[in-house]
Amino acid sequence: MNKYRPHVYVLPEDDANRQIANGFLLNPYLSERVIGVLPPAGGWRKVLEAFRDEHVREMRRFTERRIILLMDFDEQVERLSSAREEIPGDLSNRVFILGVLSNPERLKTALGKSFEDIGKALAQDCARDTRYIWEHDLLAHNSAELDHMDSPHPSIRELLFPQDTTQ
Amino acid sequence: MIHRLYVHNFRCLENFELTMQGMPSALLVGRNGSGKSTIATVLEILQSVGRGTNRVGGLVTVKDFTCGRSKVPIRFELEVLLDGKLFKYVLALELPEKFRELRVSEEHLMVEGDPIFARKEAQVTLHTSPQNSGAQFMVDWHLVALPVIQEQSESDPLYVFKTWLSRTIILVPIPSLMTGDSKGETLEPLRDGSNFGNWFTGLLSRYPAAYTKVERYLREMMPDMRDWTNDPVGKDAKSMIVRFQETNEHLNIYFSDLSDGEKCFFLCAVVLAANEFYGPLFCFWDEPDSYLSLAEVGHFLTSLRRSFENGGQLLVTSHNPEGIRKFSNDNTFILGRKSHVEPTVIRLLSDMSVPGDLVNALIRDDVGPWV
Repeated sequence: MNKYRPHVYVLPEDDANRQIANGFLLNPYLSERVIGVLPPAGGWRKVLEAFRDEHVREMRRFTERRIILLMDFDEQVERLSSAREEIPGDLSNRVFILGVLSNPERLKTALGKSFEDIGKALAQDCARDTRYIWEHDLLAHNSAELDHMDSPHPSIRELLFPQDTTQ
Repeated sequence: MIHRLYVHNFRCLENFELTMQGMPSALLVGRNGSGKSTIATVLEILQSVGRGTNRVGGLVTVKDFTCGRSKVPIRFELEVLLDGKLFKYVLALELPEKFRELRVSEEHLMVEGDPIFARKEAQVTLHTSPQNSGAQFMVDWHLVALPVIQEQSESDPLYVFKTWLSRTIILVPIPSLMTGDSKGETLEPLRDGSNFGNWFTGLLSRYPAAYTKVERYLREMMPDMRDWTNDPVGKDAKSMIVRFQETNEHLNIYFSDLSDGEKCFFLCAVVLAANEFYGPLFCFWDEPDSYLSLAEVGHFLTSLRRSFENGGQLLVTSHNPEGIRKFSNDNTFILGRKSHVEPTVIRLLSDMSVPGDLVNALIRDDVGPWV
């Protein structure tokens, strides 16, 4: 991974989110060298702590770095806004917060897919620029963050899927 | 794609079953001595049969019986899906009293449940075509029949199975033995990677379009790599030189002088290209993350996994936390043995309850297949 070119790190809350991220990375169209999955933080609070303690400084140093905080919302949609308040203003365009409304286990049951297969389905949506899976009840609350990911240039989608795969 | 590997009475593997149906890639995790390498040895025995080794004594020896139990046959069963058809190959080896070398007690190959050939002791019965259905002949008890039965055409199930078996990749690479020198061409790599030069040359000679795939991967891993040459050295021998370029600076490095990790990049590039150009292949790679920096492990394994998503099958072992985290509960097998006199037990991680982070649980030694 070239730190001086646009790249993305995913910081998962726990092992289930890590496995979803693993599945995402298996998409054949993904530009694999621009994304990396970090070890699970061990809880949503620890995601924010790790971001604050380890990543803020490094993100200011490496200005092409983006980070996706992958955490559970435990049925509390307001967690997004409280988590966003902890993101320094100068980094807000490069930090994205995604997660299942309850927890990944519920999503796994609801979709009848393994965590990796959920990740694959999410990546397929992203590659095709659709939001089929993302519109599921347990994921629909992410729409504002997905819009946020689409806005900066290059967008996360353009970065991860440089080929046009929407055809 | 391997659906099932069954092994009985071979070293630590007793009534052992590895089921990989529907898994393009999988990971074996376990303590030292838990049986991971023995699985590689079994796969290599079957690979050797596919590559033409037919003398039983060249495949197994008396010391391979579990706890010296030579009255019970060693049994290998392999079920593999090829071209949409399920092939099943069975090989049972026995050691009669006062014999010093094992012999074949049972061997057969079936496709979708229909026998291609069946063997009981020395008697082989062929069912490969209507013309020779039921034809029988004798084979020396100490020879495996599969390599010696002549296939009729490239669509003959015998050819399909033997070719697949011979091209399986079993890697336990020792980078210091990977010199980049070649004295011929092959599509059959050795487990230690010592014929890497021949494999590399064989791949590019038979599938020139693989060059682009290899080059693209290597440039991603080593952005300053320009290309490589395969220069003649003496009669019928070549030696690889890798050329690097940074702005106007050039540097040529003999392949043998690359770092261990860089040699593994080359090995990975050839595995990926081989699977694409003459696959789908089965690849077992023992600790592919051994020689890699932490920053590379994830990309290396994810590249391998992605390549096998579209065909072929990858089975790896790992003790590296970053490597282990690149797999998931549905494709991670936990192996263990309670002691050296007890057999290997295997369980899929998703069938177990491991609270919290798997790597932390492995560090605490809290993960065993019987837990």
